[in-house]
Amino acid sequence: MVSSLVHAGFALVLAAGLLKRSYDRRALAVVLVVIVLPEADALLGPIMPGAHRTVGHTFVLPAAAGLLLYYDTQIRETSLLRERVADTGVRIAWTAVFVHVFAHVFLDWAHLEGVNALWPLHDGFLRLEGELLWSSVDGLVQTFVEIDVDPESGQRQIDAGSTGTTESVHVNNPVEPDSPEELERAETIDRRFPVAGRGWRLYLLGLGVFTVIARYLQGDPPDEPAA
Amino acid sequence: MAPTLVNAALGALLAAALLGAAFDRRSVAVVVAAAVVPGADAAASLVVAGATNTLLHTVWLPLAAGGLIYWDTTLRESSRLRERYGWRGVRVSWVALTAFVAAGIAPEAVGDPGANLLYPVDDAYYVIDGLLLFSTQDGVVQTFVSATAEGPGLLPFESLGTTETHAISTWVNPDGRPGLGGGDERVLTLVEAGWQAVVVAAAGASLAVRFRPWSSDSGERTATASASEDPAVSGASE
Repeated sequence: MVSSLVHAGFALVLAAGLLKRSYDRRALAVVLVVIVLPEADALLGPIMPGAHRTVGHTFVLPAAAGLLLYYDTQIRETSLLRERVADTGVRIAWTAVFVHVFAHVFLDWAHLEGVNALWPLHDGFLRLEGELLWSSVDGLVQTFVEIDVDPESGQRQIDAGSTGTTESVHVNNPVEPDSPEELERAETIDRRFPVAGRGWRLYLLGLGVFTVIARYLQGDPPDEPAA
Repeated sequence: MAPTLVNAALGALLAAALLGAAFDRRSVAVVVAAAVVPGADAAASLVVAGATNTLLHTVWLPLAAGGLIYWDTTLRESSRLRERYGWRGVRVSWVALTAFVAAGIAPEAVGDPGANLLYPVDDAYYVIDGLLLFSTQDGVVQTFVSATAEGPGLLPFESLGTTETHAISTWVNPDGRPGLGGGDERVLTLVEAGWQAVVVAAAGASLAVRFRPWSSDSGERTATASASEDPAVSGASE
């Protein structure tokens, strides 16, 4: 996994940008809980093969949550959520969904074997990797999604970074630092808890800490613009 | 260097996070511009050897600017900045400076090809890359800071060379050396890794949510859902 601390760092930057006046310690605490929670699927690993990066890292869950939130707050006559926790709660709920998608699921999508994007509708790990560039020789080039045409059958093959299914993919994590078969053979088990595995991850972590400190140090505007 | 699009996206995220009541279209534009300004030293490399990631990627320039803003707004009897542009001007200046450093310079220093952070005091392209983890077998493992790092430079980080030895290729200057070397392929990188695509998408979505271009500002629904909570959010209420 991209370290939870890196997820949290990026999440804090995004949350600071979206919470507006709902920004306070309580809201940040909610965001941080939502950020860490999906990693609990690593605990399911020993009883369900390939659970990590599957159960808590699917796009389906936040999509459903977003639809539910939209239905409750926009379509229904009276919103259950707004009645209970007011507009602030609704704002925090939207921010939590946003942050879960971008700072957790999407970041993991771009890391190691990626995430099981459409589970449980479809079992298949996808990894986001590639580049997008414009070249004066080749024009616009992107390598995130590879489209190949089989020269024999003429069929198009689209590869969006597929890495396997829950059967074949095991994403290492501190609970299961290697595939279950390897772990049975290993004499000593080295559990590694990453803080930052690359410079850019340390950067995102630092950016989050910086954002929170900066918000803390910032003064309030002297004259509130009239509402 | 990290693609300019990524610098801009990080600048936009910082703008949304830090501008507060000063958030509007114009101030976001200023902050995003500040985030991409350091990339302009690539153009200077056509004339000055090794200017890319050097001239505008040193920490001295933003340090001086920060000192100047602090002096003007805090130490002086009356602040010129505040007199001319008010509270909003001061906030936008600070956030723009932050974006210059945190979104313009820092992303260059955490991966290839590095940033010449202390130029001209010390000429070395630093790369702060490595890993930091806790292992149940090996304890704390970190490779970001190394006192025995290879390459020139004073800081204990890996460095890739000096302005003389390390040429950085950009779309403005494909061979990274002075002069117009014609015939070279020019490559403008927009996104060079998966995580950068995520950052760009997150920035786009954040700005979309903050500006809500799809809903009219007078709409009742927006009034109850968002605009009433923060009057400085919509572009119309500036």
